[in-house]
Amino acid sequence: MHISCGTQGIVNSKHPGQGIKDIALAGFQNIFLDLSVVCPVWELENVGKSAQKRGNGASWIFEHPEEMRSRGGFLADQSAKGGLKISVSMAPYLNYSTKRDDLNNLLERLTQESVMVSAQAHCRYLIVRPLTAGIGNADLREVNRAYYLRLAERAKKYDIQLLLENQCRNHNGHLIRGFCADGRQAAQWVDTLNEAAGEERFGFCMDVGACNLCGQNIYDFVLSLEGRMKAVILRDCDGSSDSALLPFTSVAQGQSQTDWLNLIRGLREIAFDGELILDFHDTAVAFSPLLKPELIHMAKSVADYFAWQIGMESLLKKYPSRVLFGAGNMCRNYLKCYGEKYPPLFTCDNNGKLWGSVFEGLEVKNPQVLSALPKDCAVFICNIYYREIEEQLRQMGIENPIEFFNDEYMPSFYFDRLENR
Amino acid sequence: MIRTGVQTKNIVNDGHPEEGFSMIKRAGFSCADFSLNGYLLNKEIYQSSLNRFFDASVSELERFFTPHKKGAEAAGVTINQMHMPYPVYVPAGEKQVNDYLRNEVAPKSMAVCAFLKCPYIVVHGFKLARFLGSEEKEWEETEKFINFIAPMAKEMGITLCIENLYDGIGNHLVEGPCCDAVKAAERIDRINEKYRAEVLGFCFDTGHANLVGIDFESFLTTLGGRLKVLHIHDNDGRDDLHQIPFTFAKTRENKTSTDWEGFVRGLRQIGFQGTLSFETAPVLSAFPETMKQDALSFIARIGEYFAGGVSAS
Repeated sequence: MHISCGTQGIVNSKHPGQGIKDIALAGFQNIFLDLSVVCPVWELENVGKSAQKRGNGASWIFEHPEEMRSRGGFLADQSAKGGLKISVSMAPYLNYSTKRDDLNNLLERLTQESVMVSAQAHCRYLIVRPLTAGIGNADLREVNRAYYLRLAERAKKYDIQLLLENQCRNHNGHLIRGFCADGRQAAQWVDTLNEAAGEERFGFCMDVGACNLCGQNIYDFVLSLEGRMKAVILRDCDGSSDSALLPFTSVAQGQSQTDWLNLIRGLREIAFDGELILDFHDTAVAFSPLLKPELIHMAKSVADYFAWQIGMESLLKKYPSRVLFGAGNMCRNYLKCYGEKYPPLFTCDNNGKLWGSVFEGLEVKNPQVLSALPKDCAVFICNIYYREIEEQLRQMGIENPIEFFNDEYMPSFYFDRLENR
Repeated sequence: MIRTGVQTKNIVNDGHPEEGFSMIKRAGFSCADFSLNGYLLNKEIYQSSLNRFFDASVSELERFFTPHKKGAEAAGVTINQMHMPYPVYVPAGEKQVNDYLRNEVAPKSMAVCAFLKCPYIVVHGFKLARFLGSEEKEWEETEKFINFIAPMAKEMGITLCIENLYDGIGNHLVEGPCCDAVKAAERIDRINEKYRAEVLGFCFDTGHANLVGIDFESFLTTLGGRLKVLHIHDNDGRDDLHQIPFTFAKTRENKTSTDWEGFVRGLRQIGFQGTLSFETAPVLSAFPETMKQDALSFIARIGEYFAGGVSAS
């Protein structure tokens, strides 16, 4: 899985050095280049409304779409110098609330240019939103089918895969399900376009924020796109306003307002191994430039956490044998969801009273027995005191791989929890 | 001919039910959605503090609801749909509570429905996806319950209607059971085929659909003739407010933020001939008592407006 950091709100398109450096120092190796940083939404919304030139003498990009290449190329070069690869890019787009129904030709031109920028940046994927403004429901399908297939010609030339993305539709200020918001229909779109293109030129990028705005069953959405899902944009929001917040920060009543459980369940089930993009530009903009480096570090940790949770089953699969540490609820949850598929040899616990007992069908042993494990057998800690237990095991001289298991996002849950163990 | 109706909650009282039904009729409605769920509140069910209303025998319940039945008849109001108390299963709830809901409340609700000569009863699907892992597994449990009451439904000539529901994450309301029209259609067809009768249909709740951004038109046209019952009400897209349609706007243009045009188009496309039934009880407790009749008449007028749109060729 490739983890990428969104550049919006962090990297200034004219002075990208500092933002790129902050991202690289946080440990990211890839970035997500949303080309609206060089052709902003507000600029598109004002096409034709002002003849005013940019302050530095540069022209509006809508007047010279070919400048996408030089401006995007500049960002790509600077990123490469900073040690960052561009994994996914996104063509310019209009807001969901736009009333500009006269810009479809311009958007297509800008998207064609975006294909070139992506090629220059050695970026494999380009996310392309559909043309919707001013197009009635009856024509939406045909207009976009033709649009995507025209783009496919250039994309093929430069070997770029075009990613469709689930959209919201603005109904008088209320965001509801729009183009590709239905997972089955989205899958059908991808398949139909690929069939027409004669190759796998199209894939899908799931925008978690858009799913959340429409209160969707995220698990079902993910499963219906299995195999076509090349990228996932992780962003948080309150389910009502369209924003891109750092995951786990949109909270009410002590709970996240995005259904991370069903996202992780779904991505884990399809063994997602594509591009994981963290887009938190609203959070980033709100933070002082002085605090941004720490914020980006935090964002990296959040992204790593998602990758770890999504890859949990792959982690279990990685080892030929495994034992658990802990004989409580987390161990019980392991056994419920993975006990059959990845059976542990036994579990152990620091509570001497449990030694020799059987918990949920698994023998509980003294941790001392771990020193006799075969070398490739991993110890999965099933207790929230991960670091303390890991240190204990290392001090005991255990050299086996030690992994953390976690039951926050499980394929299913018991209705109850065991108390006082 | 398309009829209009409204739920009886906050209108019909047990002391003088005939007055409430007369009020419904005066407002311009010809149908009522009988709020049987008002006799066993969901809050009490979740708290395992059930009242003992459904301890009564079927004949006692029939006696209790006889004035309601006569009141509706006298007013010329047809009880076209009703709502079974919900939930009918409490996740992680006490066994005796869940047994009571299944073995007492559900069958007796069916009996009351038959007694009132009501053809449709709305039942809520189980909310178990978090525990069981998926909507499919959640549905399996709901289907077991449907299979439990479907023989009664067949015998009584009643159609059970599953309803699109929401669930909560923090204070964000998201998809709950029965929000997938394609799956709902397949399940309804399969179960009806199994029983060789129309034991299962759908209740489309506009407010719940609006909360989770469902495209009304697409959902309704997917359901087609399986749509039997409506719960019409409006909200701000965030909370389940059960307000009057056209009430909410989100932009300076002050246009309705709920897609009522899509709703009417969808019903028109499927040739809906049922009852445009409003689930707007909170409106009636919000308005002053002296304006209750006016508020109700206004809702009925909106129903007529919708009916005109649905019937238009």
